[in-house]
Amino acid sequence: MTPRFEPGDRVRVLPEDKQGHVRTPGYIRGKTGRVESVLGEFRNPETLAYGDSGLPERPLYKVSFRQADLWEGYPGPADDELCADIYEHWLEPTPEETA
Amino acid sequence: MKGIHDLGGSPGGPIEKSQHEIEDWERLADAVTIVLDKKGVKTTDEHRRAIESLDPDLYGRLGYYERWIAATETLLVEKGILTREEIDARTRELGESWGEG
Amino acid sequence: MSETHHTHDGVKPGRESGRYARRIRAIEALLVEKGVLTNEDVRSQIEYMEARSPANGARLVARAWVDPEFKARLLSDTKAAARELGIDASGPVEFVVVENTPSVHNLIVCTLCSCYPRAILGRPPDWYKSFNYRSRAVKEPRAVMREFGFEPPENVEVLVHDSTADMRYMVLPMRPPGTQEMGEEELAELVTRDSLIGVSVPRRAGS
Repeated sequence: MTPRFEPGDRVRVLPEDKQGHVRTPGYIRGKTGRVESVLGEFRNPETLAYGDSGLPERPLYKVSFRQADLWEGYPGPADDELCADIYEHWLEPTPEETA
Repeated sequence: MKGIHDLGGSPGGPIEKSQHEIEDWERLADAVTIVLDKKGVKTTDEHRRAIESLDPDLYGRLGYYERWIAATETLLVEKGILTREEIDARTRELGESWGEG
Repeated sequence: MSETHHTHDGVKPGRESGRYARRIRAIEALLVEKGVLTNEDVRSQIEYMEARSPANGARLVARAWVDPEFKARLLSDTKAAARELGIDASGPVEFVVVENTPSVHNLIVCTLCSCYPRAILGRPPDWYKSFNYRSRAVKEPRAVMREFGFEPPENVEVLVHDSTADMRYMVLPMRPPGTQEMGEEELAELVTRDSLIGVSVPRRAGS
């Protein structure tokens, strides 16, 4: 599976409320971040959790977020960031930002 | 609605920094869980799912390895490897043999 | 679970721990009888975990501090670098070492459970697995670090890593000043477990 995203891409985490075993934490859903690196391809934990093979493997990305974008009134400097490791099917490209 | 385990950003208090001495039964819980994983009887993902499926109140009350034991039992029963009845029976026997009732 | 401050850390054994202790012993006995695993499997796994501790991480860090080429290998292929020092971290889990610099300080957490580089460092401390750490480390990392007696300057970026998937993280702290004359063994003694997680930094020379 060719990775859909590459380092530097701005991506949004799907704002879905998915049931079952999910490794995308609630606090980043719907948030926009930046792809830091492609970590490789891994089996899907959401189906592995129910005894399925988890195949096909899919790309996993390290995505960074500005803390100020994640938390209203974040009590720290503007440069503070957070990274989470997110599977490709939870990410979508952000629309082109207009000037 | 967030899963009970999805704690990032939830309200929380001061961090308890004390370390409890790990007990033998906790070492056992740790080892049995990992051995079952290494033998392909269950996966880490199934283990996490079983923990996340615990009654929310129970999740909040149990200690770390108590959750592991509950999850391991859930999976072993789900996979038809053991039954709750035989676990109950053996647990009772062990309790009785130590005079714990 | 109600959204209030936790009175129980979510880790320590509770009042019914005796019942759980008997239950896991019953489960083990039954599994052995049914040939699912052996007593030796269990004993060997317990031994494997007991052999792992933060001292492994301290040795990796100390070597990285004195040997820039080893440091590069530690950052690019942690398992192979660990193997060079006789640390067996083989298995399906991937490791990532993140480096502290004068401009970035890293903090590791697993909000969803308690993922930790166990094959290198052994079991995580109780506080790392606690509800309060898992809740607050992502949202207010500087306040959390303050509780551990550490406060990075405002001009240093704090970067939190939430171990949500297949990677396990360890921090490579900065070498403390005034340690140029120290050998590897002495340097390793400065590296605390807490500095490998990122809630604080290594001890200072002469402390």
